[in-house]
Amino acid sequence: MTEDRLAPPYGVMLDRSKAVRFSFEGREYRGFAGDTIASALSANGVWLLSRSFKYHRPRGILSMNGDDGNCLVQIGPEPNVPADRQPISEGLRVTGQHYKGSLRRDRRRWIERFSRFLPVGFYYHAFFKPRGAWDFWEKRIRATAGLGRIGQAAPATEFDKAYAFADVAVVGGGGAGVAAAIEAAQAGSRVVLIERQQLLGGSLNHARFDPASRRGIDTAKALATEMDALGEHITVMSDAVCTGLFADNLLAVTSGNKLTKLRAGSVVLATGLIEQPAVFANNDLPGVMLGSAVQKLLWLYAVRPGRRAVVVASNSDGYGVALDLDDAGIAVEAVVDLRYTIAGDSLIREALDRGMRIIHGYAIERALPNSAGTHVAGIELRLRPGQESGPESRNLECDLICVSVGWAPAAGLVAQAGGEVAYDDTRCAFRIVSSPDGIVPAGAVRGEWDLDAAIADGRRAGRHAAAGGRHDSAIDEPTVTPESNPWPIFDSDKGKAFIDFDEDLTPHDIENSIAEGFDDIELVKRYSTVGMGPSQGRYSATNAVRLTQILNREPLGGAAGWTNRPPTEPEKFGLLAGRRFEPQRLTPMHHHHEAAGAPMMLAGDWLRPLYYGNDGESAVWREVTAVRENVGIIDVSTLGGIDIRGPDAAEFMNRMYTSEYSRQSVGRGRYALMCDVSGTVIDDGVACRFADDHFYVTTTTGGSTAVFRSMLWWNAQWRLDIDMSNVTGAYASVNIAGPKSRDLLAPLCPDIDLSPDGFPYMAVRRGRVADIPARILRVGFVGELGYEIHVPASRGAALWERLTAAGHPFDMCPFGVEAQRILRLEKGHIIVGQDTDGLTHPDEVCMTWSISERKPFFVGGRAIEMHRRRGVARILVGFTLPAATKILPEEYHLVVRGDEIIGRVTSIARSSTLGHPIGLAYVAPDQAEPGIEFTIKGPGGRLIRATVSELPFYDPQNLRQAT
Amino acid sequence: MKILHCPLNGPRNIQEFVYGGEVTTMPDQDAGSDSEWTDYVFLEANRAGLVREWWLHVASGYWFIAERDTSTDEVVRTFAPDRRAVGGRAPDPTGRS
Amino acid sequence: MPFGLLKYGFARNYPARGLLPPATELKPRYDVVIIGAGGHGLAAAYYLATRHDITNIAVLDKGYLGGGNTARNTAIIRANYLTPEGVAFYRESMALWAGLSDEFGLNIQYSTRGHLTLAHTDSALRTARWRAEVNQHLGVDSELIGPDEVSRLCPSLNMSRETRYPILGALYHRPGATARHDAVAWGFAEGAARKGVEIHQHTEVTGIDIRSGRVTGVKTSRGPVQCNIVLQAVAGSSSLVADMAGLKLPIRTIPLQACVSVPMKPFLYPIIVSGSLHVYIWQTARGELVMGGATDPYPLYGTRSTLDFKEGLMAHILELFPFLSEARVNRQWAGMADMTPDFSPVMGLTPIENYYIDAGWGTWGFKATPIAGFTMAECIAGTRQPPLIEPFRLDRFDDFEQVGEKGAASVGH
Repeated sequence: MTEDRLAPPYGVMLDRSKAVRFSFEGREYRGFAGDTIASALSANGVWLLSRSFKYHRPRGILSMNGDDGNCLVQIGPEPNVPADRQPISEGLRVTGQHYKGSLRRDRRRWIERFSRFLPVGFYYHAFFKPRGAWDFWEKRIRATAGLGRIGQAAPATEFDKAYAFADVAVVGGGGAGVAAAIEAAQAGSRVVLIERQQLLGGSLNHARFDPASRRGIDTAKALATEMDALGEHITVMSDAVCTGLFADNLLAVTSGNKLTKLRAGSVVLATGLIEQPAVFANNDLPGVMLGSAVQKLLWLYAVRPGRRAVVVASNSDGYGVALDLDDAGIAVEAVVDLRYTIAGDSLIREALDRGMRIIHGYAIERALPNSAGTHVAGIELRLRPGQESGPESRNLECDLICVSVGWAPAAGLVAQAGGEVAYDDTRCAFRIVSSPDGIVPAGAVRGEWDLDAAIADGRRAGRHAAAGGRHDSAIDEPTVTPESNPWPIFDSDKGKAFIDFDEDLTPHDIENSIAEGFDDIELVKRYSTVGMGPSQGRYSATNAVRLTQILNREPLGGAAGWTNRPPTEPEKFGLLAGRRFEPQRLTPMHHHHEAAGAPMMLAGDWLRPLYYGNDGESAVWREVTAVRENVGIIDVSTLGGIDIRGPDAAEFMNRMYTSEYSRQSVGRGRYALMCDVSGTVIDDGVACRFADDHFYVTTTTGGSTAVFRSMLWWNAQWRLDIDMSNVTGAYASVNIAGPKSRDLLAPLCPDIDLSPDGFPYMAVRRGRVADIPARILRVGFVGELGYEIHVPASRGAALWERLTAAGHPFDMCPFGVEAQRILRLEKGHIIVGQDTDGLTHPDEVCMTWSISERKPFFVGGRAIEMHRRRGVARILVGFTLPAATKILPEEYHLVVRGDEIIGRVTSIARSSTLGHPIGLAYVAPDQAEPGIEFTIKGPGGRLIRATVSELPFYDPQNLRQAT
Repeated sequence: MKILHCPLNGPRNIQEFVYGGEVTTMPDQDAGSDSEWTDYVFLEANRAGLVREWWLHVASGYWFIAERDTSTDEVVRTFAPDRRAVGGRAPDPTGRS
Repeated sequence: MPFGLLKYGFARNYPARGLLPPATELKPRYDVVIIGAGGHGLAAAYYLATRHDITNIAVLDKGYLGGGNTARNTAIIRANYLTPEGVAFYRESMALWAGLSDEFGLNIQYSTRGHLTLAHTDSALRTARWRAEVNQHLGVDSELIGPDEVSRLCPSLNMSRETRYPILGALYHRPGATARHDAVAWGFAEGAARKGVEIHQHTEVTGIDIRSGRVTGVKTSRGPVQCNIVLQAVAGSSSLVADMAGLKLPIRTIPLQACVSVPMKPFLYPIIVSGSLHVYIWQTARGELVMGGATDPYPLYGTRSTLDFKEGLMAHILELFPFLSEARVNRQWAGMADMTPDFSPVMGLTPIENYYIDAGWGTWGFKATPIAGFTMAECIAGTRQPPLIEPFRLDRFDDFEQVGEKGAASVGH
């Protein structure tokens, strides 16, 4: 097939010096740089582009707007690509989608023959008997559903995001938009102008405003000159679609693989109009196109849209189309004017002067298909009732039907932003009724259709927007509105007439929905699915609302459509996701853990070593043994740290935590348990008093952010004289634990007295470790002599290296989270978040000792007191299992008594130190005494008897950590 | 993405902030009844209309109060929390300052 | 072809059954007024009429039938809760769900797809095990499965261990299902109307009359109505309606957003949820992906959409299904969720005599639709709190008897 193009000036989008080869459905075609898939294919005589959703009817170009559902194609792994927007590129391989066999001979065409059995909402009325049948039928229906096919290989495309700012954003680069941009820039605003085509000008580039076809081009040129003079005051984003307008004028603008988030002081919406289809039998055949689509094919792409055309018109725009076709040498068989009375204007007069055949008094019976049923071959007209001037029915031969019956404002963005759009009876179209402050509709979208009026309105809007765009008083009365046919819906029993192409819905489907009682337009939408397809009602809402109102015997005037939702046209997931930045926190020693081959686990945002080496269980046991018998080192930089300084520091600690801190001596640490106002345990750590007015309190790994925010919030109310900072990331920390830890550290800490008396258990010191300034906490989470060393994060790696070197003679072993969990469990220490849940209060986890009775107030205190009056319903206890137990329960297996769920195991491990399994579990209060047996429902429902044990399991006299 | 005017940092994207609940007054630690306390802990006015609420500017760790219309999402004003704004009496059970 | 469709093919005119009743005048008096013609309110009316023979009922709604959260949810049905109270309640709900199409003679498209809650962390695995154990103990089919089994059930998931959130396992809930959310409301409406229940759309309640601690009627935009009993079932506006009755609720109203893609050929059958990533996704019979995530970061009585939501959601969806970057979002929307402190509903009796409440439905209201209606009908007919919803009573907060569902959301250490 050879391509057949009109000579310039047709084809302004094309670079005819660059031929581009691409393929469609396996056949090679040639187009030019600047072509879309649809324009290039149509230039090659290929009009069948897709198959419809339900009946698999042949479909082709409808709007050339890139936003209808009739020409979605597949490009490799990417489904649902609008062929009338996507440019061709060398070697591009395009296929049709949603067919079985081939696009031309879709084997699913049979479905339409059964359409009588598949009325609107048919799936509500069948497929459910017997019970469960739908699970069977759904799989079969699914197999025929969907449109394109998503490829599952790794994505090849990178997506980006950008932020941009403007005083005035103008959406729509047609005449009104450009005029608005010019005026706003002249008023001193920074303007961003967003245009969906590559070319500014909008309808100026393809519509016909005068018999000589000069006004559009002349106006575009004049505006371009004016705009050029303003230089950098106007930034043009072309080939860019504003898909959403969000709070405080945040615009989502997609272009190529980039999402720009544009923040604007005010917004001019000059989004223009969407031409609306007529509803008649076979109105979906390829070759039936909107008049504006035909003009775009001609002027933008130099494509002959057909050989012989019939124009169906309800306005002078249709005559513009006819004249354009005539100028391009395409035979215009007739203009079928659907209006009862025709006001003569210059375009109509020109058409008459040229001797065009104009047919009145007829309605459309149907489009006639060619023998293959894939393209228009003619149109059948029928005499309107009351018209007696001609034959009952007339057939005209043609391969192109141009439909120019009316317009809808492209008001999606206004509606999303909170503006009102309602049907206007006198203008027979939707109209913007109100617009929020800062958002100024302009030009055709507001109803100003005459070229001069639209541009004047654009200028007004530009000035208004530059001044802030508040309260757009000009909104109520546009001076000129486009002509729309009030009822372009033609009933026929000679074929299906579509009111919604995406969903294959006919007027009968709407009628039947209403007959079922779905009277509200939203309910009609939900039952019939009108407007739910890829074009979201852009080409169906106007007619669907007209039909619904009439059938409901409700007035059309003032009727609203269904709620408009973003995006204004489909946007790729990848555009929204961007590069997917996910914060991940690594400790300063992370590379050492990786080098040591430690597998990592996620803990909040942090990565922590599970254990060192690749031998799993035995590594953990080795690490546990090293700590118990020798010395181990663990990276605890992920623990949170908060500095609290000021005269009221102790008072603040008193209020935030359950213990008492005012009497805590300088140089001492104290356990710190935090509750919320409901008395629920939310965090714990160690409070270190380094000075009368300085506490350093640690938090759990996941808890530091929430704890710090909570502290800030309380003190925003208390106004205590303190300052606090979250120094979690500023410190790196390790814990050196084991009987040899003192010996290891001593040579590295010449300025610290490490002796048992000089630095006893639960004391805290500041000094230097390996020449690095450090905060040292003598704590015993793992139950051995141990030191937690906190140093500036920048020195963390050095500290690790120095300690590792110093530990060599002691056979020091790094240990990970797994070993630490066993070690602390042997010691009976709880982990907040694992051994507690969203309702745990301190008395349930045996933390009564940590609650001060001497303080007048602390957060959660009153609730804890109320809990106490009610008594506890569960208690966390230690338990043991016989050493011979082969299959252990796992963490969060249930504790049961008969059928009743009593609690759960929160921690469990085989203790190599003790030689038998140990754990923590919630049991009933009457089961909490040591020696009592209770039942765990273990793996596979196996009931396992466990015995309550005293805590801690290991070293109950605390001899080891206190040495 | 809304813009919120932080009294300390000026207008910023709302993603920089964290919502902190309605501004309420804590009952007296000792004199308050049980039900006053459970109401304080669990209940919210949850009005549709102008509401005073806590917001945190995360990067600067700054809590402030916003008056926001919960039916339109319009923030009428924002201000630093002082005694009066927090609701008469700050929850200061020790009687200090 | 199923026989149910034959009548459409062979009838001369479309044989409409009249699913929804035509509008009528408002009577001056009813036995029961139900505020809210969403799934819950209509279900309560349906069960009052069909199980308790109470039919002099008006269901009032300020908007159109089923137009609130019934229209806006993402239609997932499951019973794999954490607490015994929650599991028992939703287990009974699923038993009702499975029979609704039959009972209505209307296909609500109840599809048993299986439901996978992915675990990306150690603590998520623990919680998944906890839920599985509680579920199994109460006869609900849930189990903790490993990565291989996850991959078998959903081959298109990204199972790489090198991602930011590797999939370590999942809670697999075989009965997890979806249904056509609108049809549920229509089915209850049709069934209730056949028994004489009146449904008044576009009839807003503007006041509630209470005398001596007892409700006597409501004021509406179409005039006053007397009644003996009022049930409020207005998720999203619960605090506002309760306020008219002088009640304060433990509820924060927060938007919950969702979106749907342009249809694609089916590749995803089960429902996939990731708690750590705050996403869920499933594919409808039409081929659309239905996707949602966490609630908005702050309260609002509004259903506006935000870009932030969509950006975050898509970033997380692509963690699970990287190849979807070329898929397209077709529409986003929002509903208003009643968030309670313990992630559980507020149901049953109130301090006002004959004033009943069905609220606090957070993000889990749709799946409870039949059982909420069923138990509220039982509560109203018997004027006492049925055992199944005893844990959800309004006054539980007076004595810290919260339900532990939030435990499932408890943070990792």
